[in-house]
Amino acid sequence: MISVNPHFAEKLKKFGAKTSYDCFGCGTCTAVCPLTSDENQFPRRFIRYIQLGMEDKIKHSLEPWLCYYCGDCQKNCPRQANPGELMMALRRYLTSVYDWTGLSRRLYTSMAWKIVSVALLFFGTLAVVYGFSGEMVTDRVELETFAPAHIVHPVGYVFGAVLAFLLLSNVYRMYRFVLGPYAGAIPLPVYLQELGTLIVHFATQARMRLCTDKSRWLKHFLLMSGYFVAFMLVNIDIVTRWSLTNEPPMWWHPGKLLWSYASIAMLYATTDAIIGRLRKKDPIHQYSHSTDWMFLILLWCTVFTGLLMRIFMELGLPLPTYHTFALHLAFTVPLLGLEVPFTKWSHLAYRPFALYFLRLKERALELQRPEGTAVGVQGAQG
Amino acid sequence: MDKKLAVYICTGCGIGEALDVEALAKVATGEYKVPVCRTHPFLCGAEGVAMIKQDMEAEGVNALVIAACSMRVNYDVFNFEGAVVERVNLREQGIWSHPANDEDTQMLAEDSLRMGIVKARHMALPEPFQVEDLSRTVLVVGGGLAGLTAALDAARAGYKTVLVEKSEVLGGWVSRLYRQVGVNPPYSELEETDIARRVKEVEENPLITVYKGAQIEKISGAPGMFEATINHGGTQVTERVGAIVLATGAVAYDATKLAHLGFGQYANVITGEMLEEMAAKGSITRPSDGGPVNSVAFILCAGSRDKEHLPYCSTICCTESLKQALYIKEKNPEAKVYIFYKDMRAAGNYEFLYQRVQKEGVLFFRGEVVSIEEDEGKNLFVEFDDVLVGEKIRTEAVDLVVLATGMVPTTAIGERMTIKAETDEKGAQAEAPAEEIIRSNILNLEYRQGPEVPTLKYGFADSHFICFPYETRRTGIYAAGSVRAPMDIPTTIVDATGAALKAIQCIELTAKGSAVHPRVWDLSYPEFFMQRCTQCKRCTVECPFGAINEDEKANPLPNPTRCRRCGTCMGACPERIISFKNYSVPMIGDMVKAIEVPEEEEEKPRIVVFACENDAYPALDMAGLNRLTLSPWIRVIPVRCLGSLNLIWIADALSKGIDGILLLGCKHGEDYQCHFIKGSELASYRLSKISETLNRLALESDRVRMEQVSIMDYDRIPKIIEDFASRLEEIGPNPYKGF
Repeated sequence: MISVNPHFAEKLKKFGAKTSYDCFGCGTCTAVCPLTSDENQFPRRFIRYIQLGMEDKIKHSLEPWLCYYCGDCQKNCPRQANPGELMMALRRYLTSVYDWTGLSRRLYTSMAWKIVSVALLFFGTLAVVYGFSGEMVTDRVELETFAPAHIVHPVGYVFGAVLAFLLLSNVYRMYRFVLGPYAGAIPLPVYLQELGTLIVHFATQARMRLCTDKSRWLKHFLLMSGYFVAFMLVNIDIVTRWSLTNEPPMWWHPGKLLWSYASIAMLYATTDAIIGRLRKKDPIHQYSHSTDWMFLILLWCTVFTGLLMRIFMELGLPLPTYHTFALHLAFTVPLLGLEVPFTKWSHLAYRPFALYFLRLKERALELQRPEGTAVGVQGAQG
Repeated sequence: MDKKLAVYICTGCGIGEALDVEALAKVATGEYKVPVCRTHPFLCGAEGVAMIKQDMEAEGVNALVIAACSMRVNYDVFNFEGAVVERVNLREQGIWSHPANDEDTQMLAEDSLRMGIVKARHMALPEPFQVEDLSRTVLVVGGGLAGLTAALDAARAGYKTVLVEKSEVLGGWVSRLYRQVGVNPPYSELEETDIARRVKEVEENPLITVYKGAQIEKISGAPGMFEATINHGGTQVTERVGAIVLATGAVAYDATKLAHLGFGQYANVITGEMLEEMAAKGSITRPSDGGPVNSVAFILCAGSRDKEHLPYCSTICCTESLKQALYIKEKNPEAKVYIFYKDMRAAGNYEFLYQRVQKEGVLFFRGEVVSIEEDEGKNLFVEFDDVLVGEKIRTEAVDLVVLATGMVPTTAIGERMTIKAETDEKGAQAEAPAEEIIRSNILNLEYRQGPEVPTLKYGFADSHFICFPYETRRTGIYAAGSVRAPMDIPTTIVDATGAALKAIQCIELTAKGSAVHPRVWDLSYPEFFMQRCTQCKRCTVECPFGAINEDEKANPLPNPTRCRRCGTCMGACPERIISFKNYSVPMIGDMVKAIEVPEEEEEKPRIVVFACENDAYPALDMAGLNRLTLSPWIRVIPVRCLGSLNLIWIADALSKGIDGILLLGCKHGEDYQCHFIKGSELASYRLSKISETLNRLALESDRVRMEQVSIMDYDRIPKIIEDFASRLEEIGPNPYKGF
């Protein structure tokens, strides 16, 4: 027996679910959704869960992650109940549920927490950079002298390790929530066999291509690949030393070329998203949670300062280079520190993991079921 | 009436090209010796009409047979005062549905003309029935929203009105509402009802006489001359009225029958009516302890759409509950309100209300209530099977459960009685399946067929006429408001206006001596040749409108102004003593006899089609309009209603050598479409008795077939006839041919 909890919808409003009571349950959203399936039905079912306050059901569900928010449901909803946005709000809520530190919930629900944490990390980074920086050579650009690699790199790896730990521990909690009852039924080899799903969806977001609007996948892929390339380039910098160095290589250096691609791709995609959210023309851009803006602004500033720094460097302007580099780091730290484990950017892990877990769940069910009654979910098998 | 016949054959619309008009004219001038017979290429044009008028003046013709298009078109053009007009359908059912220049088509046209001439010979000009001392007063029964509105509208139209209300105050159900659903934009606000204004206007109107605390003891008479005896505080008043509006409304379903929803068992389970009362008094509290109400569950369809209780939907409970949810939310926005429904019916502007209530945070649940429980603190818990979640759910403790009960029409409350006809010595038993009347003690009619108006299956005083709302099965009595069908406030207001206008129309048509709907042009009425009456009671029992009373010796006492001129009595009478000036048993019999039946070896069978004028005949016309080909063997005879079918016609046809008889009438049974309610049903009943007659004639009963058609079935008509024709072919020709 499920008890109705009318207070839950109120709670979810802070995560952006403002229209859940407008739904009268017609199911048009589910009918038009290209991603929903018999076994994994959304959005209507989940709107109903919100209305009735069925927290447990939501907490143990993967479906919110199977939605890529194309907005088809929103366009067709006869009650303007914004099913897509409600699914988005559920993802925000789930992110806060997975996070054991409690910081995620505070970032999502409190403006003060957002501003203070961003400011703290921003100014803290600036303080650290200027406090530990080396000499500012003014007759030529010597970035490494300003920011010694032997300090920057280790600090960066420690930071990365902390973030990875936070994110993966949250993913583990997600695993416990959604696969808890099945975990025992899945043999270890299955976990390995299905790893492909995780990798493919992490790298390509292929499922998004099932959405009606195909252009979104391309934009998202630009952003994602740009980020991924930049991330890899920064990580291998310690070996190749193409970036944080006093002797930057020539323009044709593969690192520099790839980096240019990454910057431009990310800048294009973020600018496009910002313009979209300001214009509010498409359903997916009509409703922006404060954390959406926080993410976009931090990302845009990070990419922009990085690009600016490169330009100053190429032009041989030492001081502007050093200062924009400091700014670049000051934006990067809150971006990664707050977004990756706690808020919007965490979906880079939750989405592919959701599909991976879904495959595991299907395999578990197949193992329990008699032969020949296979279940499947569109795109989940990569 | 001294009649001089004239036949006019129109050759327009292709008739002249498709038929041998000269041969056709010879039928009139040769066989029937019609003194005047003319053809015209455009008879419905000014010149053609002028020609007819010229003949009427110069030749003195006064019985006109117009052989042209269907009687359903140009009836205004071929309308000549002082003359009997008969239309022969050469176009729609002639050349449009049969091949041109064909021997069989020509024979069909000639037979049609023969039947037309014979019919015109039988017809006389109707003399309208005149009521002595006709009353133009409208009696309105019921002083609620519908009754008040009907009275006001009748008075505004200049008609004296008598309003009878059972209780001591006017206003009815609506006056007990705290607020009504907004009828003005944005349609989502609560509004005060305007019932007080209506009551005031009624009480101040000099044309309206109001009897409060009054009851109708009896109503005798007929439209234009009803005598209503009203018991008014112990004294009897008699009012002569012309027509009656029945507006006694509905009451809420008895919630004590809803024990499964906790009513009567738990103090905090109440009905919507009780909530209105609390809201009107200014405070909504828990009946158990008078404590505040912070959470409410509304159970919609409480006892509605439920075979055990009310099987139907009362249409307003959804919106009334939405409105009441706002009573709660407006006083306390934090209150938790749950609405449990089967289907949310918030049509039209009510959608705005529904949306608002959703936005106010009211929670909606679709599915079935499983149980309602109470804890020791008298708090209630609703357990519910939620369709969308697919699981059972349970509410938090709620302070109040409100049952939205449906409407029971006042005409449904009372002892059920069946008016049967006793079988007489000759075994001439009444043929109609007996009709049930509910003794609701509202009108107390002095009618042979029972004291109240017949109702539909759920007790609503309606007549299933999709085209004729307000009309009960008693002429001159018009139902309005929720006594007729469950309805909301705006619909009731419109309904009351409609019924008031119908009452006025009835009075005015009665004053002219004309039938009241659907045959509003008809000035004829049934006349009884009483010397030959055997008091068999068939006519008094079978009249679908209770038009015929009986005296103590069972002689029929016709009330022509109650009559709708369907001719059911004429079809019922075994002695054939009932006839109209322009419609009679011998007339149709002679039309059948006028058909030329070819010799057996010619292999041209003949089928007489008796077609109901309301649906079957237009369907045949539409078949022609759509150029569908019909069997050449048919000869169509329109009848006012299949109820007027007298079995003698079938005997006439079969003894004449006609091979088959097809009856085309309206759908009967529960969802009947018969314009005269029981006509087609009676015809089918009579038909079931005909095998005896056929056996006597040594004929197969398959030679007579009845089919139900609606006006939309025109495309089925060719096949219906073809199927019948092929069955007749199997049986073989009628052995009586040539006798």
